[in-house]
Amino acid sequence: MKLKKFVSALLITAMTGALLVGCGSNNSTNTNTGTDSGTTTENKTTENTSKGNVSIRLLNGKIEIDAPLKAYAEAYKQKTGVEVVIESLGGGADIAATLKGYLAAGNMPDMFVIGGEGDYNVWKDYMEDLSNESWVSDTDVAYVSPEGKVVGFPYAVEGYGLTYNKDLLDKAGIDPATLTNINAYKAAFEKLDSMKDELGITAVVSMAAEAGQMWWSVANHNFGSYLATGVENGDSKYIDMLKKGEIDRDRMTQYAKFLKLLFDYSDKNTLISGTYDDQLALWAQGKTVFIHQGNWIDPSLPSYNVTFGMGIAPSAFMEQDTDGILADAPSWWAVYNGGKNIQACKDFLTSLATTEEGAKCLVQDCGMISSFKSTTVQPTAPLATDLMKWVQAGKTYPWHWAKMPDGFAMNNLGPVFESFAKGDVDIEGFVDLMANAIATLKQ
Amino acid sequence: MDVKVKKVLSLAAIILGIAGVILALIMDFSGSENPLRGAILVIGGLMVLAGFYFLPSKNHKKIINVLFLFPLLLAFTVTVIIPFIFGVFYSLTDWNGIKFENFVGLQNYITMFTSNDYMYSVVITFIFSAINIVLVNVIAFSLALLCTSKIKGKNYYRAAFFVPNLIGGIVLGYVWQFIFNKVLTVLIPGSVSMLTDPNLALLAIIIVSSWQYSGYIMMIYVTGLQGVPKDVLEASAVDGADRLTTLFRIKMPLIANTFTICIFLTLINSFKQFDLNFAITNGAPSRILNGVSILSTELLALNIYKTAISKNQYALGQTKAVVFFIVLAIISLTQVAISKKREVEM
Amino acid sequence: MKAQNVASTKNVAIDEIPEGRKKIGIFLLEILAIALVLLFLFPFFLVLINSAKQSADIIISPLNMPEKWGQLFTNMNNVIHNQNFNYWKSFFSSLFITAVSLVLISLFSSMAAWILVRNKTKWSNFIFMTLVAAMIIPFQVVMLPLLSTFRELSDFIGIRMLTSYKGLIFAYIGFGGSMSVFIFHGFIKSIPYELEEAALIDGCTPEGTFFRILFPLLKPIQVTVLILNGVWIWNDFLLPSLMLGLNGKIKTLPIAVTSFVGSYVKQWDLILTAALLAMLPIIVLFIFAQKQIIRGMVEGAIK
Repeated sequence: MKLKKFVSALLITAMTGALLVGCGSNNSTNTNTGTDSGTTTENKTTENTSKGNVSIRLLNGKIEIDAPLKAYAEAYKQKTGVEVVIESLGGGADIAATLKGYLAAGNMPDMFVIGGEGDYNVWKDYMEDLSNESWVSDTDVAYVSPEGKVVGFPYAVEGYGLTYNKDLLDKAGIDPATLTNINAYKAAFEKLDSMKDELGITAVVSMAAEAGQMWWSVANHNFGSYLATGVENGDSKYIDMLKKGEIDRDRMTQYAKFLKLLFDYSDKNTLISGTYDDQLALWAQGKTVFIHQGNWIDPSLPSYNVTFGMGIAPSAFMEQDTDGILADAPSWWAVYNGGKNIQACKDFLTSLATTEEGAKCLVQDCGMISSFKSTTVQPTAPLATDLMKWVQAGKTYPWHWAKMPDGFAMNNLGPVFESFAKGDVDIEGFVDLMANAIATLKQ
Repeated sequence: MDVKVKKVLSLAAIILGIAGVILALIMDFSGSENPLRGAILVIGGLMVLAGFYFLPSKNHKKIINVLFLFPLLLAFTVTVIIPFIFGVFYSLTDWNGIKFENFVGLQNYITMFTSNDYMYSVVITFIFSAINIVLVNVIAFSLALLCTSKIKGKNYYRAAFFVPNLIGGIVLGYVWQFIFNKVLTVLIPGSVSMLTDPNLALLAIIIVSSWQYSGYIMMIYVTGLQGVPKDVLEASAVDGADRLTTLFRIKMPLIANTFTICIFLTLINSFKQFDLNFAITNGAPSRILNGVSILSTELLALNIYKTAISKNQYALGQTKAVVFFIVLAIISLTQVAISKKREVEM
Repeated sequence: MKAQNVASTKNVAIDEIPEGRKKIGIFLLEILAIALVLLFLFPFFLVLINSAKQSADIIISPLNMPEKWGQLFTNMNNVIHNQNFNYWKSFFSSLFITAVSLVLISLFSSMAAWILVRNKTKWSNFIFMTLVAAMIIPFQVVMLPLLSTFRELSDFIGIRMLTSYKGLIFAYIGFGGSMSVFIFHGFIKSIPYELEEAALIDGCTPEGTFFRILFPLLKPIQVTVLILNGVWIWNDFLLPSLMLGLNGKIKTLPIAVTSFVGSYVKQWDLILTAALLAMLPIIVLFIFAQKQIIRGMVEGAIK
């Protein structure tokens, strides 16, 4: 009898052990953070019963603004009692894959970042309609679905191009305002290259085109100028062609010429094996004049003690002048429609859009440009200030690259840019590779 | 305790348990979101098990048979058998990871075999495996000879060679990415990272994989070599065989079975390589193939992962996985056949 | 034996090599062995010295010794308190998952193996063959449907299987089970049935026989099963990354390292320190139990 009891006790402890422990951890997860979304009903109900402790989770795709967002979330909690958990992923991390993993794992965040049309198509069934929010009328860059519903909160406007070191350009006697076509760049690069020792630089441009981690900088951002630079307002001709598997060969060749110019004057090691950090370190230490990145590098600058002046010059690849940089809402925050605290999410977004504190967080602390017209808070970060000038002057082109299909830039275009950067192909070869890669989109 | 009382109690537990399970299932079907239903289900199930366990019965032994098999088989069925069957099925549909709408027959298989990047992955996986098998086994066998020779402190050397195998491929992969990108480029001034050249990047994964795995294979060879009977070695020494002859004519034939084991272990390990691939190159750098620029170091396991997770083509990824399974099954069956054949011969 | 005939035609036998030359030979082998050990362990050395440097020093001189070792603790402190890495939490998650999985795997597998050995029926044969055959199923072929199966199961029974400890442990029992049953099966077969028979005749229940008589005899093979599964579960990346997510609330150490690398674009000082911290527990364990670990892993492979 004794033995029997012992055995049964052992068995039952063993079997329930795993289950109970799991349940226990479950509950604590809910009360601590409430991060878990509604794929499991068990969870939903526990959440409902503990209303006093509302907690929502935001998957942020910009690691650079992680700290200021967390600070705002903390202040927001003090004010409203709603806990906002900020979860940030970095530039190279595959956010789309992470999110899909979350959905598969029943761990969807209450708010998540969407990067454009590709993401929209994946997530359209999971996004809450935000059309009736008060901030909608105050912005031009919210994400609007083809049916006309607002589904994405534009937390910022961002812009990029060839970000320059103003001090070095001044020293070389180059006016950044003249950099509006390929020939101006060519002349400037030649001049800077000849003054290398004088300026203390090792290369003219800091770019990174490695396909494993830096594909987004070239295959999305830089390629964005082929898709949009010089187009009239809202003209989506080139992205539409791309989606049909076609390219404009002349335009692509012209773009390739410019890209080659950039690559030729880039720091070789960084170009083919460097990471974002390498690229940034080079430029921030004054070892290159240009960096192909945008205003999102602002928050990283203090750690390099940067003192030089700076601004963004257009990625002007054509012979004729195109005096505008690529600026748009980089991504949007969508509210997960299966979440338990949808209203709390909406309230949080509204507070960011409409309150002074919200604007301060987005504009001053995060170093971004507000996408809301009524915002009066002025940015303090150097590139944000410069970007604001472009935006207010209306000299911007949209980010059509965000409308490319899921995984296309990473898997199909990224390798092409790397091949070109390594010198495996010439301009014509690059155009052919691009044509072939894009042709796979033909249905 | 009185047998009758016990019987009644046990039966009551069984009935209550079944009722609990049924109640929980009804809640499931009726869409109730009662948080307790999971607990009711589990407790009900446990009560049924406990009831049967305590039930005084002539068939007690049979009940124990079932109870002892139950937990393992439950887990095994839910995590391996059911997903496996679904997996094969999904490869014939347009499954998107959540649901499927159409049955597409062999379309996924056709898409897969006509896609450049997949066929390329197949080829480099074979190349990778072939080189890796040779390298791992040559290194491991040499180390095993060294570690069974007459040198002092053999055990310490064995342990040292074994260490890399204890650490996960992910962590080691990042460490080696650092070594290739930052250390070797400094060590050889003016050189470019190995990871920027398609062939060298594959070689880099092979180097790390051999480094990580050969200590383990070495230990299997050591066990094999130690199993060679002393008297045979002595006899050969008496006959005047030199060391190389002893090695090639006596030791190696005697441990032929160990070679089979090691070669197949390495083969299967190489074929399944994911962690190092993911952490060292994640597929980069690029290579131009038939006018298309593709990622050059995407081994099959990584290709399957990326197809499904980052390109969101779950059905296609699943199809690739099914083919991956078939290849591995053929390899494993070959091994079994060879081992059987050898056993018969001996 | 043919081999010996060939061999005997040669005249240089081991014993004929002069004592002095033999010694030199062994000495050279020892030097070679030490050189190889240093080469094998060099990557770990690099991790250690660079974990004690600041980012800039690593890039400029990755091979130099650190200026001051105190930086190691600064870096460790940064990493441990980093939100994406969260060392202690990840460490205990890994430990918990590994420990509970191991206890359950070895218990359930030995129970199942025992039944399968001692009952020679069509069914037991079929179950055993299925388990053995499943050993060749690669993880990749089940990983995607596994997620959907678990998700639907969670919805259905109301117990969360994904992003939870219990689901992951359950999966480890399923995946580790077949190999473990196979190993136990071979071992139990070699234990004479007479022992159990005697106990049964003495009036011991079948389960009593198992836990009292057989279970203690399994100790040596338990070590093998524990180590084999332990090393695998501790280091596993793909299964937990899919089931827990790369940035979920529960992170195992390999996942923590990955999410750390992903978020901190490429700060090598912190990444290497994170790697060091992730390696440390298993290396410490290895130092104390190397014999058992090596034996366990090798035996598992041969069986």
